[in-house]
Amino acid sequence: MNRAGVEDFLFYEAELLDAWETEQWATLYTEDALYEVTSPACEDPAGADARNTLFLISDRIDRIRGRATRLTKKTAHAEYPRSKTRHMITNVRVTGGEGDETKARANFAVFRTKEDTSTIYMGEALFTLVETANGVRIRHKRCTLDLNSLYNQGRLTIIL
Amino acid sequence: MALYDPVREELVKADPEKGSFRVHRNAYRSAEVFEQEKQQIFAKCWLYIGHDTELKKKGDFHARRVGGRDLIFIRDKKGEVRAHYNTCTHRAAKVCRERTGNARNFTCPYHGWVFSSEGNLVSQNAQTGYAEGINADKHLDLRSVDRLEQYRGFWFVNYNPKAISLYDYLDGARDQIDALMDQTEGQQIILSGEHTYSIRANYKLLCENSYDGYHLFPVHASYFDYLRDQMVGTPGEGLIDKTLATYNSAGCARSLGNGHAVLDSFVPTGRPVAQWLPSMGADTKDEIEARYANLVSRMGEERAKYIAECQKNLVIFPNLVINDILSVTVRIIEPESENKIRVTAWAMGPDDESEQLRALRLDNFVSFLGPAGFGSPDDIEMLEICQDAADHTPIEWSEISKGFGKAEDPLYAEGAPDDEIQMQAYWTMWDRVMRGIDTLETR
Ligand code: FES
Ligand SMILES: [Fe+2]
Repeated sequence: MNRAGVEDFLFYEAELLDAWETEQWATLYTEDALYEVTSPACEDPAGADARNTLFLISDRIDRIRGRATRLTKKTAHAEYPRSKTRHMITNVRVTGGEGDETKARANFAVFRTKEDTSTIYMGEALFTLVETANGVRIRHKRCTLDLNSLYNQGRLTIIL
Repeated sequence: MALYDPVREELVKADPEKGSFRVHRNAYRSAEVFEQEKQQIFAKCWLYIGHDTELKKKGDFHARRVGGRDLIFIRDKKGEVRAHYNTCTHRAAKVCRERTGNARNFTCPYHGWVFSSEGNLVSQNAQTGYAEGINADKHLDLRSVDRLEQYRGFWFVNYNPKAISLYDYLDGARDQIDALMDQTEGQQIILSGEHTYSIRANYKLLCENSYDGYHLFPVHASYFDYLRDQMVGTPGEGLIDKTLATYNSAGCARSLGNGHAVLDSFVPTGRPVAQWLPSMGADTKDEIEARYANLVSRMGEERAKYIAECQKNLVIFPNLVINDILSVTVRIIEPESENKIRVTAWAMGPDDESEQLRALRLDNFVSFLGPAGFGSPDDIEMLEICQDAADHTPIEWSEISKGFGKAEDPLYAEGAPDDEIQMQAYWTMWDRVMRGIDTLETR
């Protein structure tokens, strides 16, 4: 994929998230997908491995779907009333890939407003995208945060 | 404004005959009460600072705020663990500006005084001007906390030089720490990585929540839905509802003395030590079962069963939480004001477990716990709506009566998992320490 193709796809993902179409969002992930957010204090966020260090999020497909479904429920108290979000995706770069795979990186800033409080999650996302018969899918998405803690944000209950 | 007077004001009202236990909401929302807590609770109780395994090598340190005081938790170059105040004895600057690292010395960035890892002043960065022997009495060495003691690697500080020993303070909580540390023949260690976040709520609201069996079904309904969905079509299907049906009768809440308490319960999440469930994957089955067999041989059947199968939510008064549940978390609650806390949490696990089991342990952790899990954020939302409502309504009392009145002494009581006897123990201790009835000092 070229940069424009990656951008279009990431903008589409962002659009689904801002519209709270979380279950539709989950369909963008492959069966062997991994969606991760490293801990803010992580020393090596690009190289870290959730199998031996504590992440904020490390979801395989079951939990990607579980997260998407949970967020549609009123009993997901942390997101009730649901927050407003705006995903900004910039500085998209295609960094490699072979065959049907494309590796890409993008900067992101996600604004979240819950009741009267607005906070920002900013950082870089590392993607492995794959072109399938059904369209582009995400095999791996790792978000690394330019934060030292979630002191200002409190928690991370939206999808980045 | 006069400081709140803990002797005259009654914030905790207990009437065992009526089975009534109430806490005045000023205990959660009053800035004056919080000021008093800094002097009565946080300057007198043992406060957790960190685990021995976080200081692997000589010189390893962590800068931590404990009970509102900035400390350097360090293993000095001789190997001794210390807790220095992070302030220069010259004119106050922080001598350590990193959150973590390894150091032989700390050089104050302001005028260049140098302190050794033991805290000794080794240079004043000046050729002239100081009288000979100005530090003969050591008053210019880094100041250390009055008391620093450990139990099985859990280091605590106490700002009262006359405090009772940590060993006595922990009382029945020692047995819970033993149950955790005895999970392995090897060593329980703090694993890599941490979660740090904030909550807009009083610290005691999080303590209450951490071992509250009563909130499980309303607050965590979406988590149980998720567990059920995961088990559809597996041998574990049906297990979840079967176990949950006996939740209120299978375990218990127990107070352990000095305000500490534990919730023992049974929730079918599986436990890396040492209860295997199909949802944990076939590749960990043998190891988990071998760990269980090892527990039986070391500890006997009954204790092994308790260690392996029982989910334990422990609160050590006033602000340390150790949840030994689907994963083990050690969580410090650092109060910043009457309605704001900073939470730092770590995962703990045996150093001799396989890569697969370690991965499973961490996966369990993030599935439920932490600021992005499927459980803790819903708890946090509850705490914030409790705080907001208490702050902005005139209602005076919260009712914490469930299961109250059966035991002679609330500090050593037992009740059903969804009772509130653990909170009654906490608040009884809180009230006694606030009023100075219990000084926690050696006589
Ligand atoms: S304040 Fe540290 S050397 Fe002056
Ligand atoms: Fe909870």
